[in-house]
Amino acid sequence: MSMTGDLLHTVDAEDLSAARIRLGRGLVWGAFGLLAALFAVQALFVSQVTSLGFDNWRPVLFGYMLWAIALCVSRVLIYGEQGKKALFVLPAALFVISMVVFPLVFALWISFSDWNLASLTGRRFNGLDNVRQMMADPFYWNAMYNMVLYTAVILVEYAIAFGLALLLNADIAARKFWRVTFLLPLMLSPVAVSWMIGKSMLEVRFGPLAKLARWLGWENPSFFSSPELAKFTIMAMDAWTFIPFMMIMILAGLQAMPKEVLEAAEVDGATPWQRFWEVTFPLMLPVSITAIMIRIIFKLKLADIIINVTSGGPGGATDSVTSFIFREYRDRSNVGYGTLLAIVYLIIIVIFMTLLLKLSERLVRRYTGAG
Amino acid sequence: MKVDLYERLVAKQANRRDVLKGTAGAVAALGASTMLAGMPGKAHADGHANIREAILKIPGVGQGSPTDADWQKVGEMCLGATKANIAEGEFEGVELTFMGLNNQNLHNFLFRGFLKPWEAYTGAKINWIDLAQADYNARLQQAIATGTVDFDILEMGAPFEGDVCGKGLASEMPDWVKAQIEMDDYVGYLKPPVGTWEGKTYRISIDGDCHNFNYRTDYYESAEIAQAWKDAGNDSDWAPPTTWQQVQAHTKFLKTQKDPLTATQAYGYLDPLKGWGGFGFYFLGSRATAYAKHPDDPAFLFDPDTMKPRVNNEAWVRAIQDVLDVMDAQPADQINADPGTTGFQQFLAGTGSMLSWWGDIGSSAKTSDSSVVGDVTGFSILPGSDDVWNHNEGKWETLASGPNFAPNMAYIGWGIYVMARVEGDEKKKKAAWSAAAHLGGKDLSLWCSAYPSGFQPYRQSHFNIQEWVGAGYDEAFINDYLSSEADSYNHPNAAIEPRIPGIFQYYSVAEDELAKIYAGQYGSAQEGADAIAAAWEKITDQIGRESQIALYRASLGL
Repeated sequence: MSMTGDLLHTVDAEDLSAARIRLGRGLVWGAFGLLAALFAVQALFVSQVTSLGFDNWRPVLFGYMLWAIALCVSRVLIYGEQGKKALFVLPAALFVISMVVFPLVFALWISFSDWNLASLTGRRFNGLDNVRQMMADPFYWNAMYNMVLYTAVILVEYAIAFGLALLLNADIAARKFWRVTFLLPLMLSPVAVSWMIGKSMLEVRFGPLAKLARWLGWENPSFFSSPELAKFTIMAMDAWTFIPFMMIMILAGLQAMPKEVLEAAEVDGATPWQRFWEVTFPLMLPVSITAIMIRIIFKLKLADIIINVTSGGPGGATDSVTSFIFREYRDRSNVGYGTLLAIVYLIIIVIFMTLLLKLSERLVRRYTGAG
Repeated sequence: MKVDLYERLVAKQANRRDVLKGTAGAVAALGASTMLAGMPGKAHADGHANIREAILKIPGVGQGSPTDADWQKVGEMCLGATKANIAEGEFEGVELTFMGLNNQNLHNFLFRGFLKPWEAYTGAKINWIDLAQADYNARLQQAIATGTVDFDILEMGAPFEGDVCGKGLASEMPDWVKAQIEMDDYVGYLKPPVGTWEGKTYRISIDGDCHNFNYRTDYYESAEIAQAWKDAGNDSDWAPPTTWQQVQAHTKFLKTQKDPLTATQAYGYLDPLKGWGGFGFYFLGSRATAYAKHPDDPAFLFDPDTMKPRVNNEAWVRAIQDVLDVMDAQPADQINADPGTTGFQQFLAGTGSMLSWWGDIGSSAKTSDSSVVGDVTGFSILPGSDDVWNHNEGKWETLASGPNFAPNMAYIGWGIYVMARVEGDEKKKKAAWSAAAHLGGKDLSLWCSAYPSGFQPYRQSHFNIQEWVGAGYDEAFINDYLSSEADSYNHPNAAIEPRIPGIFQYYSVAEDELAKIYAGQYGSAQEGADAIAAAWEKITDQIGRESQIALYRASLGL
């Protein structure tokens, strides 16, 4: 069997006429020319260089859509049956470019500008000023430090989730009931958790948890009174919400694990701890790493609980990068600087996650011998 | 009127008035409405008195919350002023867009009802943009920044005037509108410069806002606490404080006492130590104005000539230090208490004995289900100070007239503005101003003060207690409620916040720094205040110092 050439076994190789190919090229370049012209006209109009233009950018959007359609049609006109293959991917690719790549590029452009919505002068390019401001911004780096702590705590959450998963995988009474019960916190919106737990149950005067703490001997059970305590309480509330997520993933992994391996270890005389540490844990590593990765992504977006419960306080002790950017954007209308902070955070996340994936790949290989 | 207050009054009224009387009132109002609808000229000829009396009976105290039909009825009965200036069908074919709030199903909901008869009479059509409070600022600023103002009439708080009027986006009020809405009737602080920019008037006020002082009367009537006060070596009488010096002393003293109502730990003044989207800064302001607002100087936040912040001058630092000094005499979780907590979860729930807040506390004290202090709450204007900082002289002064009082006109209140985009079309412009004037009319505003609307009294005529009593309200209660507000509104040294662009940006960044000060992250109050000042300087530079100076001076009427 041939492993080269047209693996899709296109029925008709087609002999495309030069006129058709010319038409295809003309169509796509014509549409592109129209798009470029519309963009240029509107850009010059907005920049007040010319007086000719449109009320808004909508005609440019229509030009882009026309070009996208022309691009798709031109693939078929120029490449025939082969071109039709591109139609399976091209619309999705163009959609991604429109909804992800373009906004990202636009955000990058904004992030190097001084744009306070209250300013009379509007947006002004300010080079690296926002970067310099960020480097010297104690609130941003404090929030970043908090994120390191928040992220590190995922290891503790993972240990608890693993324990719960083992428990729910064991032959315990009312197992299905417990599985559903443990999942309940995940079903709650973090905003609901903020109000229900943070603002009500932990309320120092009438909150039931505060009353319980008082009954246990804590005279003034204030869960947000010191920076350390407030940070811990936020971590606990977030963990309470998301531990079930990790737990359910690990539980699925445990259930998919071949029983024979554990039985063989038992026959070989392994202790329960050895069976867990030498067999279960390594076999669960790929699932565990996936669960931790997804949890980290969730954690890096942590904002809603903080915004609702502590507003980042006391004194920035619970601030996350996202909650700080939210204040910079919403309360201070500081669009340029806020966007730069978000872009830098995105870059840090991408680098961090890439390194983490590489590291975890090595870890899995070392423990399981895979790859 | 705030909803809670209305419900409380309604509840009280239902016990006192017989049903027949209430029904008769409603029928009379309905009759008046029908009659007036058929005789447009008659409404005005009868004078305001009859109309005011009639509208206050819609739906009638004790008859439940007003409905859309009631709002329309009131709108129709108050059309007299419109009819005097506008011919029937004059705005046929005109379409206007109105942007406002939908808080508590009030604001725009009422405006729709009030303006329906106006639309029917004038022939104009109004399209509505309803916004939640949280979305309001972002929507407004984005519309301004991106040049996409898509509304002709705007409901807006005075602090945003800098963003709108300061940028020339609003239409100047024509003289006929000033006459129609009887602007002279406004309480003192709502008169120019508020609502004006460079001498031009833009705002039709529909609301008033200020912080007043709420205190627990039972603390000051307690013989036990009074004795303990004497025993502690204090020479002065144990009476509600009138100065911040007394507030501080009482707060420190009360740490050793029991709350007379709940028999739990007693607390004095309650400071909100957590931010509230910029609104928390008003509460430090309420502590600071008596120190910082000198009667001879209109400014207290910035230097009008340079926009140099005053937030780190001795007066403001003293206010911050005052907070730090009594932090250990406040509830354990105060560091995480925002103004919502201090007002509704603490003071109204029986924790603490003194509080600065908007009128909502006074009304909720007797109406909220969770309030336990309804019968033991007293009101006054904000405390004064024995001495006041003279910023220009750089020294503390003791005034010959006694303590310096400077009520904090926090947020100033809602208003109706017409956007400049109607300027090119005279018919549209007149229609927009006519609609706005209808909403800001003298009689209509009385109804809004007396029934749930989201707006507080803001005209001298709203404080005619007999009018309220005639409508069936309890005199003692309404007198107590209104006088605390009237005294603040009409105070000659009221501290009125600057209506400059981005004012909430200043407040927001100050909240962040204050949180650090309260958490002990700065070496001193001065150091923290300097950090606020530095952040404010950055904002001023970013928005544009020269334009901010010009707008600040304009907002002060300089």
